[in-house]
Amino acid sequence: MVNSLSCMFKKKVTEDVLLGDEEIEEIGRGLRCEIDRSFGRSLAIRELDTGSDNAAEIEINNLSNPLYDVERFGITFVASPRHADVLLVTGAVTHNMAIAAKKTYDAMPSPKFVVAVGDDACNGGIFAGTYAVLGGADKVFPVDMKIPGNPPTPREILTGLLALMKNTK
Amino acid sequence: MTAKDLSGQDAVVALLGSDRAASRISPGCNGEWYLRVSETEFGPLVTTLASRECALIGLFCTEGFSEGASFSLLYVFEKKSTILVLVRDVEKTASSIARLLPSASWFERECRDGFGLEFEGAFDERRLFLHETYPEGFHPLRKSVRNEPVTMQTSVKPADEYPFRSVCGEGVYQIPVGPVHAGIIEPGHFRFSVIGEKIFNLEIRMFYKHRGIEKLAEGKVPEDVVRIAEAVSGDESVASTVAYCSAVEKIRGTEVPERAWYLRTLLLEMERIGSHLGDQAGMLVDVAFPLGASQFSVIREEVFRMNSHLTGSRFMRGMVVPGGLSKDIPGEQLDELGRFVQQVRKRYRVGLKIVLSTASVLDRFSPTGVIKKTILRPLNITGPMARASGGNGDVRIDHPYGIYDTYVPAIKPLHDGDVLSRFTIKASEIMDSLDLIERLLASMPKGSVKTDPEVKDGYALSLVESARGQDLCWVWIRNGVIERYKVRTASFCNWQAIEHAVQGEIVPDFPLINKSLNLSYAGTDL
Repeated sequence: MVNSLSCMFKKKVTEDVLLGDEEIEEIGRGLRCEIDRSFGRSLAIRELDTGSDNAAEIEINNLSNPLYDVERFGITFVASPRHADVLLVTGAVTHNMAIAAKKTYDAMPSPKFVVAVGDDACNGGIFAGTYAVLGGADKVFPVDMKIPGNPPTPREILTGLLALMKNTK
Repeated sequence: MTAKDLSGQDAVVALLGSDRAASRISPGCNGEWYLRVSETEFGPLVTTLASRECALIGLFCTEGFSEGASFSLLYVFEKKSTILVLVRDVEKTASSIARLLPSASWFERECRDGFGLEFEGAFDERRLFLHETYPEGFHPLRKSVRNEPVTMQTSVKPADEYPFRSVCGEGVYQIPVGPVHAGIIEPGHFRFSVIGEKIFNLEIRMFYKHRGIEKLAEGKVPEDVVRIAEAVSGDESVASTVAYCSAVEKIRGTEVPERAWYLRTLLLEMERIGSHLGDQAGMLVDVAFPLGASQFSVIREEVFRMNSHLTGSRFMRGMVVPGGLSKDIPGEQLDELGRFVQQVRKRYRVGLKIVLSTASVLDRFSPTGVIKKTILRPLNITGPMARASGGNGDVRIDHPYGIYDTYVPAIKPLHDGDVLSRFTIKASEIMDSLDLIERLLASMPKGSVKTDPEVKDGYALSLVESARGQDLCWVWIRNGVIERYKVRTASFCNWQAIEHAVQGEIVPDFPLINKSLNLSYAGTDL
């Protein structure tokens, strides 16, 4: 009894996180609205690393931390390409990943969209024209949107996704 | 030579135990010692070094290093603060030392793919970073091979597929995982052999992300390779560029200004904090404890934002250049960092207390994924994961670079070697790094942050302690351009420990163990 009372009245163990990033909220509201309109309220994203330096993955992961928390806007990261609407590709496509990358794309149901995240995925970046890579993601499947950056920030990734949604009929 | 150099020489002589060999050692630019060995000397010498508890921390090939020989193999041995590099000239074949020093196995396979050398008596002769679709006889690191697109095989015949070790017996079945994983992570393949739910054997296959980093650097002026060093592994951008730039600076004899080293150290420690926080948050996600995970990932995001405020890049890229830093960080921003560190420490302590007093977390963390101390030296396991298993190595102490000889970090090794030990050691390293940043801020010298370098040829080995452990880098500049840029990140060696850590554990604990080891795929695959 005393225990449950004290739980009700004692100081919270979590602290208030001050979001206060109006720009992110604005992009998020836009995304929410566009996702509701064209994807029936949820956008399922599958991430595919075809040869990045892992910085772009870290930024994509950061989209789920409490300061961005993109699930609020209708975005979910899914475990299988079969559940995905959008493939987020990071890194230049290496020869060692080429077959797996193509299989992942082929496993997605239509309609599907591909977004290249980061300079290397956009056009091969510093690795373009070398022995180990095919080049950008567009060398293996059609790319609908390119978000350049080394790596792009979470804000830039969200802005890119919003632009993709706006262009989706 | 200074007194320090002389004592280093004595240590090498004592290791070699042979006066004839000892009289021929020559000092390198960065405190390492080189010894050219003949084929007859090599075998007995390696046996001696192995028996004297030296670790083989690197083995790589380079072309045209010795007159009259096509290839030279450089074997890098470490014992405490002594580094000895054996230079062994070879033509097409060499004897393998992997049975004596297991860390050599991946190194030898790497040399074989890169240069086409055969290692006689090797217990594993499979390809390493060139997967099946690469044509037979293609060895990209040879000087005669130009760095241009290659015609690849479009499909792989079943007979040519990579042969995994097969484990058989009643009730044993395999679970293949990857290269594309379920989460937002890098690609790699894990082949589990499982009995019921227990992992009987795990074999990993990496190098899906092989991007040809080393070849890409060749023929470029040293300043242009900084961007390539940053791409080795994104969350080790600072450590990787500091390792590369230190080697270049040692070759050129550049005196880096004191303020530049203070700021570099600050960035290195910020990188460590960010990396450890990300791991800890990930480990808590994997045991379904979002309360703790959220707290750490919020702090981590703030660290990234602070990085961006200080340097203009969330990964602190573009800062470290040969000769110092590309720009200074103004005093008022450093003051902000000081205040930031104070409030982070306070909040981190609160989060840590909650996590370490939660029974469900401790139950999953301990005793899970144990790495035994006995495998540390044979496989050259380094970094926090080694210090959680009773290891006491740290490059910042054993081979201090920059100002780490003044600001010596404390080592408080733990001995259980499980997930909990790794979590705890990372927590104490975060606290130490926060303290170190405050000490650096308190005595930050004034002055310039860059020395204009002299152009000079030569070669040097450098070591840096990244968040993951010992990063090794060997740079050879010839005619003003990079002739060879060898990188061996901590992850390259540390990955091999995971096969040991998961044995006897259940499959659902694999993601947690993997996260606790924090291994970089990009830094391994290059």
